[in-house]
Amino acid sequence: MIKQIGTRLWKFISSFELTIVTLALLMALVFLCTLAQVQLGTLGAVNHYMRSWFVLWQPKDSNLFIPVFPGGTLVGLVLVLNLIAATIKRLSFTWQKAGLWIVHTGLILLVAGEFATGAFQVDTNMAIEVGQTVNYVEAPRSMELAVIDTTDAAYDDVYSIPEATLAREGTVAIPGTPLAIRVRKFFRNANLSALGQGDAPSMATAGVGPGVKVVGQPPVTRDDDINHTTAFIEPIAGGHSFGTWLVSTDLGAPQGFTYEGRNYRLLVRPRRIYLPYAITLKKFSHDVYPGTDIPKNFSSLIHLSNPNTGEERDVLIYMNQPMRYDGKAFYQASFGKGDTLSILQVVGNPGWLIPYISCVLVTIGLLMHFGITLRRSIKRRQTQKEG
Amino acid sequence: MKLSKLFPWLVGAVALACVFLALLPSGKVRGFDVAGFGSLPVLEGGRVKPMDSVARNSLLMIRGQQSFRDGGKTLSADEWLMDLMFRPQVADQQPVFRIDDPDVLGLIGLKQSSNRYFSFQTLGPHLEEIQKQAQAAQPIEAQKRTRFQGAVVNLFDRVYLYYKLRNTMQLAGTPGLAFELQTLGAPDAAQRHADLAQIAQFRPLPPLPGQSPDAWQSTGEGLRAADAGTVHPALSLYAQASLAYASGDAQGFNSAVKALEARVASERPEFVSHADHEVLFNRAQPFYLGMLLYVMALIVVFVSWAWKPEILRPSAFALLCVGAFVHTAGLIFRIVLQGRPPVTNLYSSAVFVGWGAVILGLILERLYKNGFGTAVATAAGFASLIVAQHLGTDGDTMEMMRAVLDSNFWLATHVVTITIGYSGTFLAGAIAIGYTIRKHLVADPDPETTRSLVSMAYGIICFALFFSFVGTVLGGIWADQSWGRFWGWDPKENGALLIVLWNAIILHARWAGYVRERGLMAMAIFGNVMTSLSWFGVNMLGVGLHSYGFMDKAFWALSTFIATQVVLMGLCLLPPLRGRGHRPA
Repeated sequence: MIKQIGTRLWKFISSFELTIVTLALLMALVFLCTLAQVQLGTLGAVNHYMRSWFVLWQPKDSNLFIPVFPGGTLVGLVLVLNLIAATIKRLSFTWQKAGLWIVHTGLILLVAGEFATGAFQVDTNMAIEVGQTVNYVEAPRSMELAVIDTTDAAYDDVYSIPEATLAREGTVAIPGTPLAIRVRKFFRNANLSALGQGDAPSMATAGVGPGVKVVGQPPVTRDDDINHTTAFIEPIAGGHSFGTWLVSTDLGAPQGFTYEGRNYRLLVRPRRIYLPYAITLKKFSHDVYPGTDIPKNFSSLIHLSNPNTGEERDVLIYMNQPMRYDGKAFYQASFGKGDTLSILQVVGNPGWLIPYISCVLVTIGLLMHFGITLRRSIKRRQTQKEG
Repeated sequence: MKLSKLFPWLVGAVALACVFLALLPSGKVRGFDVAGFGSLPVLEGGRVKPMDSVARNSLLMIRGQQSFRDGGKTLSADEWLMDLMFRPQVADQQPVFRIDDPDVLGLIGLKQSSNRYFSFQTLGPHLEEIQKQAQAAQPIEAQKRTRFQGAVVNLFDRVYLYYKLRNTMQLAGTPGLAFELQTLGAPDAAQRHADLAQIAQFRPLPPLPGQSPDAWQSTGEGLRAADAGTVHPALSLYAQASLAYASGDAQGFNSAVKALEARVASERPEFVSHADHEVLFNRAQPFYLGMLLYVMALIVVFVSWAWKPEILRPSAFALLCVGAFVHTAGLIFRIVLQGRPPVTNLYSSAVFVGWGAVILGLILERLYKNGFGTAVATAAGFASLIVAQHLGTDGDTMEMMRAVLDSNFWLATHVVTITIGYSGTFLAGAIAIGYTIRKHLVADPDPETTRSLVSMAYGIICFALFFSFVGTVLGGIWADQSWGRFWGWDPKENGALLIVLWNAIILHARWAGYVRERGLMAMAIFGNVMTSLSWFGVNMLGVGLHSYGFMDKAFWALSTFIATQVVLMGLCLLPPLRGRGHRPA
């Protein structure tokens, strides 16, 4: 019985039907994902269609999510299983089929690489002004609440609470300090405006908060939008409350309080990841073609300084020429402030080399296979003519 | 018998002779050396090009043609530009603005009629209204504009280009460049020089000896420098040309043009030779000529199936060869002129897709010798060059590459491979269409030819899968090098992936035996749909990092194309119209 089920499952998983159905499903997903980008933005569409087990549909005015179509993760997984099973079952281990073996190995690697990217890739960026030295990258899509002890003029002590913790709306003790932060209300995205006459009073009792109206918004999906992450928080120390503060990425002015002679500042900002080395921007160039504003080249001349390894060197980062260092790649992404600010995109992807290998494998495999087929077909035509 | 062997060679030779005739320069117009003027190098859009290219591209954008008829005679683009710059009062009466949109016509108080071309003078009283409407529509994203909004913005852009060209050499309505040179330092001159510097569409004054090769100046900048004491020698020569042209003094004009060319030739000979070569390329219009040759070959091959195949089939092949020769020569010329691999924008991708399909078709014809290779090659070449002609009306087809695209290595590898993949998929589709038509029109198709058609289509699909896969992955690697991710599900990447997936599905369906002859052919036709969507459709979405090739007007053309392909797929699957297609086993 079990053996029978096993045989049928094997037959199903290694079948040509499954190959064609999954390829067709993948085509449909890719097509829908492309169209959806107009509405959802690339990231939103990819999360909805490709990086999901099922494509979920939410009926209007309902909290229900109904799976209506297999998602990219599921289809990708089935495709890989099918590819492995069919390769083992159908392809004899002969020179005739060597090309296809190589092609299929390359393809499995390629899909595996995409899974690895989805799982492990960390996208951050580094905004750096000419002359400035920076030793951190920022994750633009996740925010943090930074509580900064600015008492000492020479350095700041930074304590940060990630967005995910804020979203739980509990009380967070800050290690090494007598402080605790009680998160009273959290908005991943919100609209801030001046509090009008008829509006309900704000939750905030301290800082600029009492004069600001907060309306929650759905999180953004378009790539060029960012969330205005906002929260009402209440710092507590020694059983004493410092009032409820409104903090948001949308508020520019610094807010803070003093406790036991120490000054604390409150700030919502993109999450920072500190690096064990520092980068100084020596020069940023933005060349245009003469007589036009068509960009010809962007480049950043940086100085890399790593106290751990003793490295001190200059690197030129320009279009199509990233710096790969410490498992991360630094790309020239954008610029601003009258060409004095350079924005580098910093990507850490441990699987970045996989597509390169897979590309080489598939190319060689296809060449071999089609070469063999072509030779056979020409031979057949010749014998036909002679016959 | 002898004649029938000779005839195809004769056809090819005559076609080739006609091609070389097209290279001859035109004579003088009213005694003015128009060709000489067209060869003068200027800097526009970030690159050095001949005046002729400025004139042709501008007229193409404004009127949609490279020359036009007015008052019983044909005006070349160069002549039009000379009028526009030196005799604006004459140019303003020439019907150069093409307006089709009935609402825009209504805006300027005109009814839709057979006349679609209007002069600047006709538009004159309505310019403010056009500007007002266009400025209201401009903030709206291009793909969200209504038809009227799109048309009025388009008209405004063309009027603006016209206005800029009109005021590049000298401000229209002022006595001209010679007057400016005489009144240097006059109280109101500085303002005029500043206006000229600001409006200029191109920079006619070449870099002086010792300056960087990019240091071209507009006339306004030249006049400013003259205010400070250094008069650029080309400035006075252009002033002389302007005066002479306006007063009808052909000799004076010609000697000024000669002196201008001699000046640049002595200091920067590379600019002159580049400009001369580009003029030759403009004049030859190789892709237009190729299109004509392909359509002739296509007609001949059609006739050959009904009448005198032994003479006409090789004649069609000869025409195809001459067409392919002109097409190839044009491509090579373009590569050398631009110093870039063959595909740099949507226009050149159309030229290259056609070229790839033609070369593949030629090879198929050599292999199978049944006329089908010629037919599909000419049809694909003709269709893609028509598409290229339409894409080429957006301005300079050799524009400079934006920073991220400025990489000959990736343009040569990724872009070329993926475009060959498009060629292959289209060619397989064309073979399948040929198969479909033949199946319904030929009463009793010969099974040998049918078999060879199927094996042609199959082979080409393998070829297309290889190139589209490699091209797509190379694109991923380029993206990894420049944007930091291998695959971002960007619309253009998805489009390429769709082609790869579709070709893979066809091959697997065939290997598994789910489809045979008919199914394979119908699937190959659907490959045309996938390729056209990936090539043009994704650009219409206007999202993503690849949307540099955005187009709005081609939407209907694309929809029509897809509809025809779907109908053809249906026809392909239906049983034959004539005969049973049934033979004793």
